[in-house]
Amino acid sequence: MSQRIEKRTVDMRIIGEWVEPKTRVLDLGCGRGELLDYLLQTKRADGVGVDLDLDRITACVRRGVTAYQGDMMAFLRAFPAQHFDRVILSRTVHELNQPAEVILEALRVGRALTVGFVNHGFWKNRWAALVQGRKLRNSVYTTEWAESRPANPLSIADFEDFCRAKEIRVTHRVHLLGDWKTPCPALPNLLAGYALYDLTR
Amino acid sequence: MTDDVEVPPVPATGPRHQAPGDVGLVQAHDFVFDRTFAFKSGQTLPGFTLRYETYGTLNATRDNAVLICHALSGDHHCAGWHSADDRKPGWWNNLIGPGKAVDTRRFFVVCANVLGGCQGSTGPSSVDPATGRPYGSTFPFVTVRDMVYAQKLLLDHLGISGLHAAIGGSMGGMTALLTAIEFPTLVRRVVAMATTARESAQAIAFNEVGRQAIMQDPAWNHGDYPSDGGPRVGLAIARMMAHITYVSDASMDRKFGRRKKDTAAADAYTFDPQFEVEGYLRHQAQAFINRFDANSYLYISRALDQYDLAHAYGSLERAFAPVQAESLVVGFASDWLFPPEQNRALALALLRAGKQASYAELATDLGHDSFLLESEELYGLVRGFLEREAVAFDFAI
Repeated sequence: MSQRIEKRTVDMRIIGEWVEPKTRVLDLGCGRGELLDYLLQTKRADGVGVDLDLDRITACVRRGVTAYQGDMMAFLRAFPAQHFDRVILSRTVHELNQPAEVILEALRVGRALTVGFVNHGFWKNRWAALVQGRKLRNSVYTTEWAESRPANPLSIADFEDFCRAKEIRVTHRVHLLGDWKTPCPALPNLLAGYALYDLTR
Repeated sequence: MTDDVEVPPVPATGPRHQAPGDVGLVQAHDFVFDRTFAFKSGQTLPGFTLRYETYGTLNATRDNAVLICHALSGDHHCAGWHSADDRKPGWWNNLIGPGKAVDTRRFFVVCANVLGGCQGSTGPSSVDPATGRPYGSTFPFVTVRDMVYAQKLLLDHLGISGLHAAIGGSMGGMTALLTAIEFPTLVRRVVAMATTARESAQAIAFNEVGRQAIMQDPAWNHGDYPSDGGPRVGLAIARMMAHITYVSDASMDRKFGRRKKDTAAADAYTFDPQFEVEGYLRHQAQAFINRFDANSYLYISRALDQYDLAHAYGSLERAFAPVQAESLVVGFASDWLFPPEQNRALALALLRAGKQASYAELATDLGHDSFLLESEELYGLVRGFLEREAVAFDFAI
């Protein structure tokens, strides 16, 4: 497996441990449904994904993953409080227009919210910006500026501040080094490449 | 839906009905139910006939049947050709056939003309055995629920107790969903396209204009007209207007624009058809009145208006509570008759009710009739939903 593909499995490994069997899971920005498929197969989760792109929805449908094509805020607003046991934002928050709004709404319809994101405070990312002075490109962000989707990068420090300010309770936090495997021993905002948070209100 | 069936190109060798992917020559059958049938209205019929077609083969375990449900002006002839000389194949020929999205090599496809229809199933134009004359306005009021219950009797007759899927667009989507609601163990999958849980005021308004056109035609005569007569002018106007609601501004503009008919060059100062779109609508209307019964149009359009899942069951969530099927709801961006929001609402309510329901939206500009479109995207969705191809973990983004 290439490093890139291996990194794709980080959410499966960690989130897979957090998801209780046979629970109702909502994956916002579900892509082609890999994570939900994994949770369906390993946890018998009752899952649904949301994405904007028809090709991705079709890919979900083909693999037996329930998926909804449309805007995630409109989707969230259509559900009563705590309808889902867990809402997942796996590598999605950095592409949201109104991250705070989505996260708070996700915490309303979900008993728990799992957020996984690339830490842009990671020293290599800081170093690349300092030395190259260009849009970040590495094994995760492979495309050059003109081919990339709009992004609103965040760091672990940004996210911790946000949770504190909104009085969101962090029930689990996992910080991984640049290999996205080894637990980060200290200074996560500098040393961690990837972060996963489990949140509740 | 319009009568603009996609006609496949003539193959290089051999006739069209023998082209690859075509179900070929097909034949309609009649199912006769000879006991009393009670309508939701409380009215009864001493029995009824449903005309239907089947393609493919019912397997030994009798679990590969796919029910196709037609729209207001559709019928049981959804694929194949009745004769080698037919001008057009069945109305969903592009979707159904060997190797197509609804693959007749795998599935046994059943499609019946609805109760109240006029293409061979019992409806207002059928002869009332009590009087020897067409039922006309004495025909019981039909609801989509009545159509579903009559169709269930056909499935019983065919020995089908489990449907691999029920698929339909527009009214067919209503029928397919209601079948899954009323007979939860019968339906394993539902594909509902360009449909709604209830018509908006606008859709009811369009239906009412169509009905008024028919009923204001003196030849309607309160529904009492001979089989070779009837409100042809009224039905034609109803159809012309309804046709506009099935397409879109963009698709009409692309097809006709402001192009003039060849004959219109001489004198612009008349009310004869000058624009191609006018001639087209007149032609469509003429084709329609030759095949459709005005009273059936009244009855079925009324059934559409009355269909209201939330009202009938208390709420949409309660309506969907018994459903066991997985659903795929498909909306079309340019559908202004049953717009995407109404299709989304179905999927969201199914999800709120704890059911498995996917929603996909196609960005076509062909309006309501987009569900009949030749679209690889639509085929891929339907095929993927029906066949559940095993996809290896690929991690492609």
